[in-house]
Amino acid sequence: MAAISLKATVFEIRRNRVVATGLAITVLVLFAVTVGPSLSPYDPTKMDFTALLKPPSWTHPFGTNSFGVDVLTRVLYGARNSLLISFAGVSLGAFAGVLLGMTCAYIGRWVDATAMRFVDLLFSFPIFVLALMLMLILGFGVQSVIIAIALVYVPNFARMARNTTMVVKSEPYVQAAQLMGQSALRIMVREILPNIAAPLFVQFTVGLAFGIIIEAGLSFLGLGVQPPTPSLGVMMADGKDYFHRGPWVLTLTGAALTVAILGLNLLGDGLRDLLDPRLRRRSAE
Amino acid sequence: MNFLWYLVVRLGGALATIIVGSFLIFLIMQLAPGDPALTVLGDAATTETIAAFREEHGLDQPIIVQYAIWLEKAIQGDLGNSIALAGKFPISELLGNRLPVTIFIGIYGLAIALVISLTAGTIAALRHGKLADTVATSIAVLGISMPDFWLSYVLILAFALSFTWFPSYGFTTPAQDFFGAFYSGFLPALAIAAPMAGVFARILRASLLETARKEYVTAARSFGFAAPFVFMHYVFRNAIIPFVTVVGLQVRYLLGGVVIIERIFGISGMGSLMVDAAFGRDYPVVQACALTFLGIVLTVNLVVDIACAMLDPRRTH
Amino acid sequence: MTKSDLTGIDRRSFLRTTAAAGAATVLTGSMLSRVALGQQRGGTLRAALLGFNVVNTLDPQKAILNSDFWALSTMFNALVKFDGQMKIVPDLAENWSISPDLTTYTFNLRKGVKFHDGGEMTAEDVKFSLDRIRNPDIKVPNQKKFEKITAIDIVNKYTVRIKTSEPFAPLLTFLSSMPTGAQIISKTAFGKIGEEGFAKNPVGTGAFKIKEWRANEKLVFVAHKDYFEKGMPYLDGVDLLLIAEETSGITAILGGQIDLASTAPFADVPKLEKDPNITVTKVPGFNNRFMAMNLTKPPFNDVNFRRALSMSIERPAIVEAVLFGEGRPLAGAIPAALPWAYTKSRDICTFNPERAKAELAKSSVKPGTEVKVITWGSGWWKRWTEIVCAQVNQVLGMKFSPEVLEANVAFQKFRANDMEAQNTGWIGRVELDEYLGELFHSKGARNFNGYSNPKVDTIIEASRREFDQAKRGDLARQAEDIIAEEVALLFCFNANAHSMMSKKVKGFVALPSQSLGSQFPPVSLG
Repeated sequence: MAAISLKATVFEIRRNRVVATGLAITVLVLFAVTVGPSLSPYDPTKMDFTALLKPPSWTHPFGTNSFGVDVLTRVLYGARNSLLISFAGVSLGAFAGVLLGMTCAYIGRWVDATAMRFVDLLFSFPIFVLALMLMLILGFGVQSVIIAIALVYVPNFARMARNTTMVVKSEPYVQAAQLMGQSALRIMVREILPNIAAPLFVQFTVGLAFGIIIEAGLSFLGLGVQPPTPSLGVMMADGKDYFHRGPWVLTLTGAALTVAILGLNLLGDGLRDLLDPRLRRRSAE
Repeated sequence: MNFLWYLVVRLGGALATIIVGSFLIFLIMQLAPGDPALTVLGDAATTETIAAFREEHGLDQPIIVQYAIWLEKAIQGDLGNSIALAGKFPISELLGNRLPVTIFIGIYGLAIALVISLTAGTIAALRHGKLADTVATSIAVLGISMPDFWLSYVLILAFALSFTWFPSYGFTTPAQDFFGAFYSGFLPALAIAAPMAGVFARILRASLLETARKEYVTAARSFGFAAPFVFMHYVFRNAIIPFVTVVGLQVRYLLGGVVIIERIFGISGMGSLMVDAAFGRDYPVVQACALTFLGIVLTVNLVVDIACAMLDPRRTH
Repeated sequence: MTKSDLTGIDRRSFLRTTAAAGAATVLTGSMLSRVALGQQRGGTLRAALLGFNVVNTLDPQKAILNSDFWALSTMFNALVKFDGQMKIVPDLAENWSISPDLTTYTFNLRKGVKFHDGGEMTAEDVKFSLDRIRNPDIKVPNQKKFEKITAIDIVNKYTVRIKTSEPFAPLLTFLSSMPTGAQIISKTAFGKIGEEGFAKNPVGTGAFKIKEWRANEKLVFVAHKDYFEKGMPYLDGVDLLLIAEETSGITAILGGQIDLASTAPFADVPKLEKDPNITVTKVPGFNNRFMAMNLTKPPFNDVNFRRALSMSIERPAIVEAVLFGEGRPLAGAIPAALPWAYTKSRDICTFNPERAKAELAKSSVKPGTEVKVITWGSGWWKRWTEIVCAQVNQVLGMKFSPEVLEANVAFQKFRANDMEAQNTGWIGRVELDEYLGELFHSKGARNFNGYSNPKVDTIIEASRREFDQAKRGDLARQAEDIIAEEVALLFCFNANAHSMMSKKVKGFVALPSQSLGSQFPPVSLG
């Protein structure tokens, strides 16, 4: 039908607009967290007890927090930490998950069966239950949060890597490489990985967004990053304690967080469609 | 026969998962620093009282023995008593009080998410590329991008404190007041629903669009069937399968969200129980809660898989 | 409450004479004010214990946590109690006398007091309850408070005589309804129900009896129709909710989901005080906050270093930043709520960077030494630790940093002295010895960090034998002077005790000890 092809074109453009918007927000956020802090006239750690919990004004667009620190400045520093923590966590999870998934798919048999049951087990725990247990045993702090995020994402990446590897494995060029006697590691890295990278990359972008929410959630419950290290979650936890006196700390920090995540999600969405429309279903989780 | 076998295998897998999971949780709790004796004995615990406490609750035995004792009792349906959170309350009583609350809030949230996403996702797909689509999709992505705990506070600030339309704290159980439960549970359910609705709407829209391009749909159209008929019988029915799968997968996130939301809104459900028990080092309660969560996820996944199999007979094999 | 309210008591004469006359005045006084208030009957009070999620037992003799006691005192009475001015007044005992050698106490009980099950409270029950807390099989820390008792004798159905091995001034306080476990339980009911059942469905004499206990959630009480104070309670019942998060408590009271809360978050007090629908009560609280240090290891085994620390922190600034002004700096362990023993300021506890640096120079500790200060809990605990660390680092060039642990783990380390330093404190104790002897006597029950000074021990022991309040106060100051100069603990501040309630709640008298349950009988809704 002609209508469909026309629609498809509109679809592409609109989708590209999504990518563009996502990219724009993400670049802006990245710019803000890298350059922003040095532009701010305020020190993110200097306490000023004469200016506790001042509402938003021209001098402090986001108000001040319970230590008298400019909230916007804290947001810029905090967002940088939150992004880094999420990035580290998702990277770790992606690395472990992809390694596990590809190995399972490639070796198969009992290794695959055992490892995938383990993945299923991880996958069956509500994420905050998983994270809570982890915090109990590892204690609080940045490392623990990174490991928690990684553990949440290991099953996602493992499953995705395994399923896609299974498909690619039987492709002629992989079989050719096998016949040529190339090592398993070489085949996995050289032949398979490039062909399954696209969906993994999309998952990574989306994971980065949700990783920030996990960090924020854990720190919000007091389980995660601890002050004085600024992170968006820590700031929101502090904002929660003084919510009735200074609601702007929690609400505006959260709003900033939402914008950053929105950018990443839009980017991920757009990329997903650009790279392969059929991926939508598989990586929706 | 095939289906029965499938069911047996799945149930067996679930059971194995629960046993392995319970052991892992047991191990983690015991290895974590902290001591339930301190929760109970408080500021003046002494070496003797701590030792007495540990002996009374069998905590002085090796972990593996403790686990064996626990498992034996659990198989007989006895989950033991709370040791640190509240006297010696039977855990079954605690769960009996809490589980219905969490399930109610969870289903309530899920229902809100389904209503929103089915509407928004369908409109977006039907009005594909139009303004309605852009608006619906944008809102969906926004929903996904909002942390639920933040949304909870925003909702409290807006609809419970500024406009006192809803209660800001506490929850009336359905047993106490059926409609009161829907009223008092609305804000927490909405906070849980928002990110889910976003995920659902997106997947439904995508799935509908993809199915609409399938050959059999085109064929059905060319037979001259009316558009609504084609949509309902060919597009929607087929598109709903990935949708249901995703709904099932979201349960894992849903239960995670409940943990935080329950604390914020002062709902005495499983989530707040588990967090409190974990901090109080009430090992058997944490164990019971974690297993209940695990059980819920496994059950939902099983139901979803079966539902998908029902919706699409081809999947059974 | 003004300080003169607290100081004007001559405890010795007060203790010696029977208290019946005083009781009459207190009763009529409160009844008159109640008529003036025009209190209504009926309704259920929705009260909340803020900051707690655990109530472990309702068995008074086995209870340990403050939350246990604050909940169970709804259902129990002791021989004596504290009134709104923190004076000891009759409760189950109509009056009492103390022998001239200060070792024999005779209590004359009220007649016709009914337990929740209808049985009458007699000397048998008193002896049973007080013997029970002294029973070594019951391993509770409160036991130590009663170890000076040698015998509890039943003189007749309504008279009990308690003998002690030597004069022991804190005893009368320990026999009160404060968190010590001296609440009187029904011997008959206990025998019938058994210990485990009693812990969940206890039988006391209090104005309310238990109806339902939902663990980790709430306790539901209903009025005890035969309560001995005529006309009370006004309420039909009390729902006591456990709300772990203080912010949630405010949300609940602003949204009208609760009527009364046991505390109010410091930062919100000014705003709540302006709220036309809310009443906030405020008194100097029975609490102290300090940094405990491991005195057995470097760097804190160096007294000059500790002295340097004590003069490097600016306590008034901490009070402003942490308590939002809702409290006062501490120059010792004894809180302002014990004005006859309290010392407002000491040089060693006053900010003085020059002297602090001089002390540091005298010490063996070098600037730049790293120290982890353990802290726990939410909100202001972390914040307090951050600020103390920042001040010490700024003035002395140290590298102090907070280490946040779970409350349970932090407390474990504190108890075991497995730490460098920890910010902590005590709350809800009303007896001088709980702030002095228990913390600083070398055998003190809560002396965890290795402080020991024979001279201090001697003074503390003397203070326990001294019944004259003014003289006891002097002894306390002497001991505290030494303790403060040696910086056994880094004293920081003493917070106000608040409670917040909706305007329709009438008759609630907030105690500086923050005890909640015992204060419900005269409360009404409107």
